[in-house]
Amino acid sequence: MAIAQARNVDPALIQRTLAQHKPQIRFTLAVCAHCSMCAHSCFLYESRREPKYMPSHKMIHSIGYLFRKKGNVGLQELHSIGNIVWNRCVLCMRCYCPLGVDIPYMIGLARRICREQGVYRLYDEG
Amino acid sequence: MIKVKRKPFQEIVEAIQRYPTVLSVGCGGCASVCLGGGQKEVRLLNEELREYFLQQGQEKQFTEYTVERACNMDYVRELDELVPKKTVVLVMACAAGTQLIAERFPDTPVFPSVNTVAIGVDRDIGLYEERCRACGDCVVGYSGGICPITRCAKGLFNGPCGGTNQGMCEVDDAIPCAWQEIYERLKRQDRLQDVMKIRPPMEWRNQIQRTVVQAGYEERYMQEE
Repeated sequence: MAIAQARNVDPALIQRTLAQHKPQIRFTLAVCAHCSMCAHSCFLYESRREPKYMPSHKMIHSIGYLFRKKGNVGLQELHSIGNIVWNRCVLCMRCYCPLGVDIPYMIGLARRICREQGVYRLYDEG
Repeated sequence: MIKVKRKPFQEIVEAIQRYPTVLSVGCGGCASVCLGGGQKEVRLLNEELREYFLQQGQEKQFTEYTVERACNMDYVRELDELVPKKTVVLVMACAAGTQLIAERFPDTPVFPSVNTVAIGVDRDIGLYEERCRACGDCVVGYSGGICPITRCAKGLFNGPCGGTNQGMCEVDDAIPCAWQEIYERLKRQDRLQDVMKIRPPMEWRNQIQRTVVQAGYEERYMQEE
C-alpha cells in the first residue's frame, strides 16, 4: 500500500512529541526483553512467520528508532518507519506483552509522529 | 467496515459559521479506508473551508489533526491539548467516533462533517455497497448469505412481496429483488427448506442502546450489586 511522502522532516516537531511521552517510551525500551512472546499474538506474524512482523520488532524499529535518534531522522528513515507502522501493522490492538508493555500505544505514537510529518497511508493508491 | 460520506459543503459551513477557530479531526480507521475522513480528506476539507470563508471576508483559523481511532479513548486523548484552544470541532469519523469526541470535550461544540452511511463492502476504490444494518440478530445464515433487511426494500423476512418482477424490485427496475437472489442461492445449495419455515418478526434490538461484552470478559465488566 502506498504511503504519502513527506517533502522534508521537522525534527523539532518529532522531538516535541517524543518529549511528551518520554517516560513511557523509556520504560518500554527498558522493559522489552526481546522474549518474542508477543509474536504469536500478531495475526500478521502468525500468517507470514517473518521476524519483521513481530510486534516488538515493529515497535523497536519505529518509535524505538525515533527515540534513540532523538528525532534526528532523515526522509528515508521516516518513510521506512511509515512503511513499518502502516504496512506491517493494522493496529488491531491485540498484541500482548507478558511484561506489560503497551505495544499498540507505542506503534500508535510512531504513527502520530509520521502523520505530523505528512507520512500516512493512502487508501486510494495501490 | 463502516462507510462515511462527506456532508454537503453548505451544511458544514453553517455549522461553523459563528466560530473563529476550527479544529477538523480525521479518523485513521474506517473513515480513512473508505476515503471519507482520513488525513487527506481532512486537509482537503480545511483548504476548501479556508478558501470559502476568505472569499466571504471572514478570517477563520483552521487546524487539522487525525487520530488513529476516533472510537477509542486512548487515541481521542491526543486531542486534550488541542481542543481547548479551539471554539469548534469538526469530526470526519463515524457517528460513534464523533460522539466519543463530544463526550471527551463537553465544553466545546462538536459537529460531524460526514454522514455515517453504512456497514459495507469495498467494490472498488471509492465504491462501496451497504451490506449490513447492524440489527443485532443476524439472519443471513438461513437466507443464503444475503441480508433481507439491507437488500430488500421492505426488509421482508418471509419471501418476496407482490412487487417482485422478473427478478427485479418494484421500487426500481435496476434493483435486484433480494428474495429472488435468496431463492436462487438456496436452490443452488439445495437448501430451499431453510426459507420454508416462517420466521418471526425481528425483535428490533437496535431501538435501545446496545453494549457488547465478548465471551470471557463478562466478569471483568460485571457491575457490583
